Amino acid sequence: MIGRRRSIRYFQPWRPVEREKIQTILEAARLASCAVNASFLRAIVVQRDSLPRETLDMLKTPVSANNIELAPVHIYFYADLGAVPRSRGATLKQLVDAGALNPSHGWSHEFVETFVWPQILEPMTKSPVQHSVGAAADCGMAICQALLCAFDEGLGACMSAFNPGIAKQAFAVPDDWMPIFVMLVGYPAESWEAGGQRPRPPFGELYFEGKHGKPFERDPGVVKELEAAGMIQRAAPLPWRKDEVRAVSRMLGLPE
Amino acid sequence: MALGKPLTEYESVKKWLAGLQRQWGENPADAEERLQTLEKFCEFVGRDPDAIIQECVREVESGKRISVKGRRFYHERIAEFQSSAPGDPRTQVQWGNTVRSFLIYNGIFMQSGAQF
Repeated sequence: MIGRRRSIRYFQPWRPVEREKIQTILEAARLASCAVNASFLRAIVVQRDSLPRETLDMLKTPVSANNIELAPVHIYFYADLGAVPRSRGATLKQLVDAGALNPSHGWSHEFVETFVWPQILEPMTKSPVQHSVGAAADCGMAICQALLCAFDEGLGACMSAFNPGIAKQAFAVPDDWMPIFVMLVGYPAESWEAGGQRPRPPFGELYFEGKHGKPFERDPGVVKELEAAGMIQRAAPLPWRKDEVRAVSRMLGLPE
Repeated sequence: MALGKPLTEYESVKKWLAGLQRQWGENPADAEERLQTLEKFCEFVGRDPDAIIQECVREVESGKRISVKGRRFYHERIAEFQSSAPGDPRTQVQWGNTVRSFLIYNGIFMQSGAQF
């Protein structure tokens, strides 16, 4: 699924998404790894066609306008910055009780109550940068699972910015929810390849071994295997991409 | 060093036994062997159980913190205590881990590393 995922920007605007597929996407997000078991991620699912026209227009940003217009389902993702302060370490104690954090590794209820909450977590929640960075990273992991799941369900999706002020008003978003992204979901109007796998920086520029500056050596044999398995695919643009974009644009009444 | 009262009357020991019961459903009455080991450790370091925990903690304005110094001290003492235990390596590890467990259930985060 990693290989097949593309940011889909052309949706079939007329085709609704089955409710069970949306639930499956949310279930995938809920199971993501999360620091201190806090589950920062919150989502508000919105059917585009249920929104008043005026609200829909106001949610658009200059670069997301078409995507927001075309996708029949919007999943507005937020980080609940109240999650950790409300739990006061209870979610960690759940991990102790569940046998995930064990005395074998030094964990106990007492450690959570006496030290982790008052000395680590509570001060962290009072540092706006540290708290929001941690929450956003966790939300990113959960959103990624949701995103891959959408493709697994045969849908297309694209992450996009949105107007948080308008969304807060329109969807009654609590004050301590920090906006992350909206996932725009629908059936793709473009082919699943969407013109090929998007360009990425060379492997060796991104990943290092032992220390910065020593690139992690990329084994061509592994690359071949991943190509055969479909994780690494043909790079964009595929030869027919421009024709596809033109055809889809015409179909959807978009400029060429 | 003789303890001033029975081991099970110390608050830290009560907390340990309660923690073991919550974690494993272990009846405190079945902890005799563990208690004997802890008592030996108390003799080994010349402190009572509550004093051991107190030395691993320092009070700060915002509450309690684990004392790095205290924890390191006991980390080392436990290693010595473990090596001094008679019997096979398995028994030695058991002695060390019993004391570590006592500290852990009192909130003193401690990892022994795998010992096999």
